[in-house]
Formats: sequence, structure tokens, C-alpha cells
Amino acid sequence: MTFWQLIIREIKAIATDKAIALTLFGGVIFYSILYPLPYLNEVPTKQPIVVVDLDHSSLSRELIEHANASPKLLVAAQVGSITAAQQLISESRAHGLLVIPANFKRDLLTGKGVTLAYAGDASYFLIYSDVIEGLVTVGMDLNQQIQLKSLLAHGQSRQKAEQTIDPIHLNSVPVFNKILGYTPYVVPGLFLLILHQTLLIGGAILGAGQWRKQGYWSDVGAVKLVCGRICAFSIIYLFFSSFYVGYCYYLYEVSLLANAITIGLLMLPFILATAACGLALSCLFTRRDLPTQVVLLASMPILFVSGFVWPIGLIPEPLVWLSQIVPAIPAIMAMLKLNQLGADWSVILPLWLHLWLLFAIYFALACYGFTRHKRPQLID
Amino acid sequence: MLATIRRELNALWHDPWLLALVSYIPLLCALSLWWLFSAGIPRQLPVAVVDFDHSHISRQLTRHIDASASTQTIQFADHASAEAAMSNTQVFAMVTLPQDLSKDLKQGHTPTIDIRYNGEFLLVGKLVSSSISHSLADALLELARLKQLAAGIPVPQANINSSPITTQITALFNQNNNYVGFLIPPIFVALLQIMAMLIFANCLNREMAQSGYQQWLNSHLLRNVLAKVIVYTPLVLLQGCFMLTWLYLYQGVPYAGSLGLLVLAQVVMLLAVWLMVLLVFFLLQDSARVVSFCTALFAPAFAYMGVTFPTHEMPLLARLWRELMPSSHYIESHISVISYGDSWQMVLRQSESYWGFLVLIPVIVILAKWARKRQAEAIEVERHS
Repeated sequence: MTFWQLIIREIKAIATDKAIALTLFGGVIFYSILYPLPYLNEVPTKQPIVVVDLDHSSLSRELIEHANASPKLLVAAQVGSITAAQQLISESRAHGLLVIPANFKRDLLTGKGVTLAYAGDASYFLIYSDVIEGLVTVGMDLNQQIQLKSLLAHGQSRQKAEQTIDPIHLNSVPVFNKILGYTPYVVPGLFLLILHQTLLIGGAILGAGQWRKQGYWSDVGAVKLVCGRICAFSIIYLFFSSFYVGYCYYLYEVSLLANAITIGLLMLPFILATAACGLALSCLFTRRDLPTQVVLLASMPILFVSGFVWPIGLIPEPLVWLSQIVPAIPAIMAMLKLNQLGADWSVILPLWLHLWLLFAIYFALACYGFTRHKRPQLID
Repeated sequence: MLATIRRELNALWHDPWLLALVSYIPLLCALSLWWLFSAGIPRQLPVAVVDFDHSHISRQLTRHIDASASTQTIQFADHASAEAAMSNTQVFAMVTLPQDLSKDLKQGHTPTIDIRYNGEFLLVGKLVSSSISHSLADALLELARLKQLAAGIPVPQANINSSPITTQITALFNQNNNYVGFLIPPIFVALLQIMAMLIFANCLNREMAQSGYQQWLNSHLLRNVLAKVIVYTPLVLLQGCFMLTWLYLYQGVPYAGSLGLLVLAQVVMLLAVWLMVLLVFFLLQDSARVVSFCTALFAPAFAYMGVTFPTHEMPLLARLWRELMPSSHYIESHISVISYGDSWQMVLRQSESYWGFLVLIPVIVILAKWARKRQAEAIEVERHS
């Protein structure tokens, strides 16, 4: 069998194996829709809050109106006591709380300080940060209005008063993911992980099913079989990665700062290393239903250790070291830096070399494992 | 029945992978995931400061950012190097203190401080940006007060003028915004569901691999399946109890309600998981495909729980898909018991949302009959050949 014939046989074997085809073709397409689906609305909009107004003055009503007009808040209810507000929050009918104290307006007019109380349900982080951000903005606006009025009443000029209140303008803007959307945050890393996990499963199931049987694979030398199989998977994943990195990234409005050639250069060692890793993994299994389970159990740890959900600096170092053996880890970081943060190639060069090193190691391991699995057959 | 249970226990004892799934694998996964997030509260996140002013005031502002527990500053001489550090994830935000900052302040102009934070790292970016804004707002308040004092306004008046309204911000139910209390419960629930699915799929698949499969299907199928439910429900529940104990009793994450109630809620979740696995098992009748299909169903459970991204903001299709996963039903009870201290009546009311899973029972019965027929045909074909 020539090398080309071997590759074609391999691709056929992959496509006709229902379990592998289900994981590879089904999984890759299914996950590309299913994973981003909850996040399609990108940004949480108005969060319901409950207001406890103990003042009932024109100023407190104005404050409530301002809160309701804020793009982040919706005044869902007004109640008379904090206990009643708690009830609403525990029924999830409101996620935030604004308490306006009694004598709010009178104290402000007579020049005494008053305290507004804000609270948010921190069981849900995005909701909490939005509720507090919204309430703080509303409170600050009111604060400035009152300061302005007071300074004007003291006879200061308008320009000078405004400058006193707001001496420096803070201009805080997110970069790279300008809308602070959830899909641009999750999709780049997650999609590489999906490619990684399905490729591992595919490679491992194919090997696990073949060790104890005879077939085209029995007549081929171990190294040639490893090379042929890596090529076959790489050709299939060339299409999958083009679909994910080329089309889905674009579809889900992920920021794309790198050009196609550098992305291709990055994907090449990633796919090769992952395919080799899958083949090396296949040497450990003889049951076809095991690889999926092992890879599934590893998914969550790999996702969270990859550094885009939780900063790497805060992850215990032994876990970070251990994670370096997984091809997805350097690949996700390199992709984020290159494509989403617009870093230079020189920045990701160490990660790129890391991927090639992993490829070399897993290739050697796969060759060793394949040779060992073939030995008993030679004796037969 | 007792004999069937004994047979199941015996089979479990001789199946190393299944034994691993009910014993050390969940412990290893749960503890490593917890360890990963054990820092809990992000501290000392690096922020680039580009100070073009080099004045007393600009240094004071930098010190204010540095003083916050969640940020630490790194000085950069120019924009290019700070930007490079941003795209290399060395820093999560960049603060530019413009030239003539202090001069503008003294002359009554309003200078602008630019803050750029990394939105690609959404949670960290938001945290850093709000921390910087708070630090700078504090520093500016102090500046405004000093200016008023310089203008001859008495101290008490200046204090009130500079901030007539003070605010008190409370994070309800998770008081110091700890990520362990926020992320670990849904991660553990997702893990528990995956473990339950794998354990049940494996013990069903084992029957299929054995020679007596036709008999297992044909005689007393209900009893055979019930025996598995009786054996594996307590074993998986033990894992759930371990996760609850580790998090709330040993690590001391605060909780309001009763943990015993959550154990009951987990039983309901497990029963729903068993139904889903049975459905897939009788439908596909191939061990590798059963595992693949169940994996596809349950792997994205974490995204659909609605803890990171609120449920009511999901599109309709996602909210429907969410209903298919027992974990998204359970997490509601979990949060309401842990955060709001809800009683059993509330948990009972939430459990009613599982009613859809009951529809699966007749479907499973039909599929089981179909599986019987297919199995008989397969044996027939084998005999002929």
C-alpha cells in the first residue's frame, strides 16, 4: 500500500465508523451552534431591581425615575420595607436593591450628608456587576447635581463649580472586545478546545477499535501507520478548523486581528500535536467507549486552566505546569494573543515552538505505542 | 430483586473503570477544579500606568491604584510598550496620566485620564476597570476637597460639598464577591451530572457487551433497571454529598438553608439523569455511540445553568434546550437554598419543573421494546450466517 492509499483508507475508516463520525462531524457542527447559543444576546440588558423608598419626596421619586431610565436597571417594584424587598429578591423577581433613607431630601437641603444603600444579588456575577454599576452611576449623577446646586447657591460661577465637582474626566473604555460581549469572550478559546477534544476522541476511538482486529492497518509498519493517520486527521481538521476559525469566529463577531497566513501557521502545529496526542492516547485503550469518557472528564479542567476564564497568575503553579502537556493550552493562549489581542508573532513564538515540541513528543510516543501493539501480531 | 442487586454489586466490583468512576475519579476532578479557583478573590491584577506628567498629583493617583487590593501598577515609559504588554496579557488595563495633568488642574481646565481595559478577558477586565475607577474617584474626591479648602470653605462644609451622598454597597449572598462561592457550585453540579451519566451509561453498556444481553432485555427488564437505580443512586449521591461537605462545611463557604434539602434535590436530579441515559441507551444500542451522544447532551451543561450568563437573557431556543438538562433544574434549587435559605416547600415547587422528564417514561418503554426486537433480529442474522 502506498502512503497515499493509506491516507485514503484512513479517511474512509474515519468517515464510515459511526461513533467517530458522530463525534467528529456531528460534534463539531452541533457544538458550534450549541455552545454559543445561550450567549447570543451578548450583553445582559436591564436588570430588575426593587426600591425601598422611606422618604417619599420629590427628590426620591426623581432618583427612582433616573434609576429606571438607566440602560442597566429596571425598577420592578417599590416596597415599604427591606424585609419585603428581600422576599422579592429570594423569589428571583429582583436582583438588586436600592434603599432611600427617611428624610433624604430634607437632610440634603439642610446640608447634612445622607447615605444611599445599594445591594445586588452576587450569586450571579454579571447581574451583580451590572446592577451595582447602574446604581453607582445614577447615584453619582444625583450627587453632582446636588453639589452643583450647592456651589451655585454659594455664589460660584457655573464653570468654576463644574470644574470643582469634576476636576478630572475619567474616560474608561474596554478594548479588544469593545461591546463586552459574552460570545467574543467565550468563543475563541472554547472553539479551539472543541476541535482539540473531538480530535483526541476520534484518534483514540479509531485506534482502540483496531488493536485486536485484523485489517488494512495490520499490513502497514507502525511509523508509516502513525504518519498516515496523522495526515488523514489533519486533512479532515483542515476543513473543521477553517469552518471554526474562519467562519464561526466571524459569525460570532469575535475580534479578528491576525491575518490568515499567521493563523494557518499557528493551527498547523496545533492540529499535528493534537492528532499525535490522540494517537498516543489510543494506545492506552482497547475499549471503544472509554476514550470519549476520559476526554470528557478532562474538558472542564482544561477549559478553566487555559487562562481566559480565570487569570493564570491566580491558578496554583503545579496545575499550570501539569497543563503544559495539553496541546490546547499553548494553542488557546497563542490564538488569543495573536488574533484577539493583536500581538506580534514574536510574542507567540515560544508558544508555537512549545506546540512543535509537544508534536515531537506525542509522535514518538505514538510510534512507540503502535509498535508495541503490533508486536504480538507478528509473533502470531 | 435482592439477587439482581447482588449481581450488580458483584459486576461493579469486577469492573475497574466503573469502580474508578464511583470512587477516586470524581474526588480527583472535584478537588482539582476547586484548587484551580481556590485563590477565590482576584488580587494584585497587573495594570500598566503610563505617566507623562511626573508630578506630585500623578504619583498620588498611581499610589491610589496601587493601594487597591485587586490591582497593582507597573510603570511604562510610553504607549507602545504598554500596548505590547496589554496584547501579551502581562497587564489587564492601561491608565494614561496625560502631560500637564497637574498644570491643567491648577489652571482650572479639566484634563482627561484615559483607561483602557481588556474586554477580551470579560470578568477580569470588568473587575479591573471598576477597581481603577473606584481608586481614582476616591483620589479625585480628595483633590476636590482640597481645592474647596483652598478657596476658603470650612472643613465640615467642604466634606459635605465634595460628597453630599455617600453610598453603601452590599454584595448579597456572596459577601466578598468570592469566585469560589460563585463558580464552584455550578462546576460541581456539572461534574456530578457528568459522573452520573457516565456511571449509568457504563453499567448499561456492560449488559450489552455480555452474552446474556437478550435475556436481560427480555425477562424482568424493569426489575433489572430498578436494581441499577437502587445501586447507583446512593453511590452518586455520596459524591454529591462530598462536594457539598467540602465546599460548605470544610471550606466554610457561607450557606443559608439546609444542606439536607439539597441532597433530596440531588436525588430528583439523578432520577432525571437516569431517564435521559435510558432513553439514549435504548435508542442507540451501541456502547461507543451511547457515550458520545450522552456526552454531546451533557457536556455544555455549565453554559446553560445561567450562573455566568443570566437565564432570562438567553434566546428562546437556549431556554428550551436548557430544560433538557437536569442540572439546570437543580441549580435553581441549589442557589435558592444556599443563597436565600429557602425551605422545602420552595424546593418542592421547583422540583415540579421536572415534570417534562416523566414524558420520557413511555418513550423509553417503546424504545426498549424496539431494542428487544432489534436484538432478536441481530441474533437471528448471526445464527443464519
